[in-house]
Amino acid sequence: MMQERIENGALIFDLDEPLADRPVKDIYLPNAYCSILKRVVSNIFSLREDGGLDLVIATVGKCKCDGMRNIASWLERTTDIPILKVENDNAKGAGFPISRSGLPLLKKMELIVNSVFAPLPDGLTLEECAPKCGFWGVPPYDFGILELFPDETHIFGWTRCMENKTPADIEMECEVASGVPTVFFTQSFCQKSAFAYNLAREHGGLYVEVDKAMSHSTRAKIEAFLEFNLGWRGKR
Amino acid sequence: MSAPSPILLDCGTGYAKIFNLEDSTRAIVPSRRFIKSVSEYRIAASTGHNIASGSGERVNELVALAEGALAMVEEPDFTVLDCGARDVKYVQIRNRRVAGMDWNTECGAFAGQVVELLTRYFDIEPENLPSDAPRIPVVCGVLGMTSMFDMISQGKSHEEALAGFLRGVAFNCETLVGRPDRLYLSGGLCDNKAFVSAFTRETIPLGRFVLIEGLRKIYSENNI
Ligand code: SF4
Repeated sequence: MMQERIENGALIFDLDEPLADRPVKDIYLPNAYCSILKRVVSNIFSLREDGGLDLVIATVGKCKCDGMRNIASWLERTTDIPILKVENDNAKGAGFPISRSGLPLLKKMELIVNSVFAPLPDGLTLEECAPKCGFWGVPPYDFGILELFPDETHIFGWTRCMENKTPADIEMECEVASGVPTVFFTQSFCQKSAFAYNLAREHGGLYVEVDKAMSHSTRAKIEAFLEFNLGWRGKR
Repeated sequence: MSAPSPILLDCGTGYAKIFNLEDSTRAIVPSRRFIKSVSEYRIAASTGHNIASGSGERVNELVALAEGALAMVEEPDFTVLDCGARDVKYVQIRNRRVAGMDWNTECGAFAGQVVELLTRYFDIEPENLPSDAPRIPVVCGVLGMTSMFDMISQGKSHEEALAGFLRGVAFNCETLVGRPDRLYLSGGLCDNKAFVSAFTRETIPLGRFVLIEGLRKIYSENNI
């Protein structure tokens, strides 16, 4: 369906991501709410204000979270925004070479997020590296956090499931590399924080919760974790 | 005019702790005052929230805390908790190596500033606080204070309400560090007897210069 619309000239936006010249308006949801979903809703309303919104494809199954299911129902009930609720229960893995590659962590995350709509760039070679460190979690609101990590950081959790095209695979979401120091990241007010918190305890990792941009303390805490475990003092 | 002496600096949210490398003297000054006169100092190495450029070699706060505690505590296994004005962090040592750490980064409930403000505001001597006051659940500083003032409006004494609040903050700290039998305490709240006595386990204050001790160790070992 998406392909057909693209062929007819439609533009597809990833509503999780920042849209150029459309700052997030923090007025549609409670203060204490996931900032990714605040951005999604703000993007929906600003695209509609510009008259450029034909359809919102809302992932509402186990592949996403209850938050999006509730938001989609609210929008359906109270606005004329056309919503198509979809669930992605695909269980056939497509592999996750980006997550295990030695590219900078920020680059890995960008490639995975962009792979939702676009094929991987031509000529991209992905060489698997041994993990020095792990980053578990969803793509963060502020990608700046990813710059703190060494390139040999493997991606785990929902982002790895996303690359594997199996976003509802809870088993895979809980996998980490044993013995590899791992940061368990969660957006504040995300239900997945229960996973992150307890997986961090189980594996002796570091639980990190961030709302929007990371604070000085969060940065220092991650830096200290990497320094204690790897002797890594950042890219200087 | 002679050049200023080199110093080691722990510049926290509330106070700057200073160690003079030439004469080994120590000083504590409010951070806002220190920052205004920062150009008068020659900073050899620093740690802490409130200082960035021109501050010599930067050392991560948790690293400074771990090194400082290792220099001050001889036990092989122990936990040290640093209660600063703004947040709380800890390091767990096993076999003289860092085995765990965390830093509460978001919730203002732990903030030493709130505890300091409240103890000053009520002007209550710590020895006058009841030892059996029920703990107030301190989800965050503001909600905790709301509960505390609710208690007062319901007829509880100020002493009981404040003791309950301090117990709530101490309880959160104990949860953060995993409830060891003995806890070493670092930071400004070491001087606050009411707070120290709100812990439910053996709590040993190490004072306000633990991070500075860490800086001294790192500085002398690496000659940074
Ligand atoms: S971060 Fe959590 S709550 Fe937010 S959109 Fe993702 S899964 Fe949902």
